[in-house]
Amino acid sequence: MTSSPPSPADRVCPLVKRESLGGAYALLTFEHAGVAGASAGQFAMIQPEAQGDLLLRRPFSIMDTDPSTSRFTIFLKAVGPGSKAVFDLREGDNARVLGPLGRGFTAPAPGERAFLVGGGYGVAPFALFSRGLREAGSAFHLFYGGRSASELPLVGELERRGIPLTLSTDDGTRGERGRVTVPLMDALSLVPGTPRLYACGPEPMMRAVAEISSEKRLACEVSLDPWMGCGLGTCLGCVVKIQDEGEPRPKNRPACTEGPVFDARRVVWEKHS
Amino acid sequence: MTAPSLGVEIGSLKLRNPLLAASGTCGYGVEIAHVVDLATLGGIVTKGLYMAARDGCEAPRIAETPAGLLNAIGLQGVGIRAFVDRVLPRLREHDTAVIVNVCGETVEEYAEVARIASDAPGVHALEINISCPNVKTGGIAFGTDPLMTRDVVGAVRKASALPVIPKLSPNVTDITVFARACEEAGADAISCVNTFLGLAIDVETRKPRLAFGTGGLSGPAIRPLAVRMTWQAARAVKIPIIGIGGIASASDALEFFIAGASAVQVGTMNFSRPNIYAEIESGLVDYLTRHHIGSIRDLVGTIRYPR
Repeated sequence: MTSSPPSPADRVCPLVKRESLGGAYALLTFEHAGVAGASAGQFAMIQPEAQGDLLLRRPFSIMDTDPSTSRFTIFLKAVGPGSKAVFDLREGDNARVLGPLGRGFTAPAPGERAFLVGGGYGVAPFALFSRGLREAGSAFHLFYGGRSASELPLVGELERRGIPLTLSTDDGTRGERGRVTVPLMDALSLVPGTPRLYACGPEPMMRAVAEISSEKRLACEVSLDPWMGCGLGTCLGCVVKIQDEGEPRPKNRPACTEGPVFDARRVVWEKHS
Repeated sequence: MTAPSLGVEIGSLKLRNPLLAASGTCGYGVEIAHVVDLATLGGIVTKGLYMAARDGCEAPRIAETPAGLLNAIGLQGVGIRAFVDRVLPRLREHDTAVIVNVCGETVEEYAEVARIASDAPGVHALEINISCPNVKTGGIAFGTDPLMTRDVVGAVRKASALPVIPKLSPNVTDITVFARACEEAGADAISCVNTFLGLAIDVETRKPRLAFGTGGLSGPAIRPLAVRMTWQAARAVKIPIIGIGGIASASDALEFFIAGASAVQVGTMNFSRPNIYAEIESGLVDYLTRHHIGSIRDLVGTIRYPR
């Protein structure tokens, strides 16, 4: 987790394993030595090799890696034509994969507790992040929320990995009823010290976690998910408003190369909600 | 038979092959150099540069449409001096031609940016951006009025000894008027064309899909339009045309050469297939070999158009 990730490689590589998780959800494993060395919070740009009339690759967070077999796994929800095209890949099909890309999560300091907050398919990078936290001996807990039980398809996978988990759904069909920030607040009132917060999910959720971190003066990182065109910092389509110290006003920064993970204090939320 | 030649000359600009990366699709080159071997390109055209740094449009800035990409980036950039001082030294390390895309809000600003770029070692040509549809002042205003086109091209011509290549807007009734204005003002070549003004709407919110509202359409969706305009421009002037518009394969590039382009730029495909150049180059060589054509130059403008 501390070694620097490899520079990105653009390759045609096969889908070696596809596991449906029901509905629009699936786990896809590709063979790509570069991305197999990704760190948590990084992503890859992926499209089928037979791209048809869809031009742009889509960004997918890395859910898991296995450097020994040069494989990496994404947790995917088909939400539009680009992600649907990747969702529809079959084992043995080729994809154009560029990665690993972006800046991932910063590891907590020794002895520092980590609270991970994942909303919907935004939970993906926390599977890989949890592995690193466990190897580093860091205390951590994952809060995983969605609108209903059917939107928590990764629960089985996370439980199998023995990740300490609290579930919540807006409609109460799984775990606690209500927003994911409710159990997060409960936990924050129970634990001593100053846990470090990490959030990935819908923007209102990340914004709520960022506000909690601000009120409680906790370090917080968020993984932003704007429309992204290239992943290389050249199309400048994925800019987010970032306010840096000493700058008179916020600036448009590409999330693909300067993020997608940002210190929550730098993010100007109202501009891209 | 020896391998066919892909080398071309655009004025005094010598290119190893006729494949350039279009402005706004390859950053300043250095951003993609870890993924793409820049020596596989004839050259790169930088993101547009003004005197000052610019922060561009609000997000969302891009929307994918059928076989196309609608964008309103707004020429976010570091400014010409920061480019020359901080970026160009790194870009110079790569073996490829560097064409600086020159922007301005006034004729004087275009000339000043052109002068600074021309004085910098390692800049091989200037492309004049008179066709960006996504800025409120300058840009397309210069490219949709023939007199303004002539004035800005003339001013850059005076400010620089490098090859000067205005990039035309397709958002005009008759592109030959603008091609001739450029030629008369002393341009060495013409880039043809920039994006088509478009609008995509989110029907749920009834808002445009881009924060700026309208945007510029690029990608294979515009290719027949761009090939037609390249053909028209090539017949109207004697200076070389650089064809641009949705090139995603060797066959696509060949259409532009046959229509009259002396070189081409690849744009939108740089975003999803940055390594497309080697594939296009080998496709061109295969085609020329198969048709017993010794040089890509001999293919230019050979369209067999019905009389």
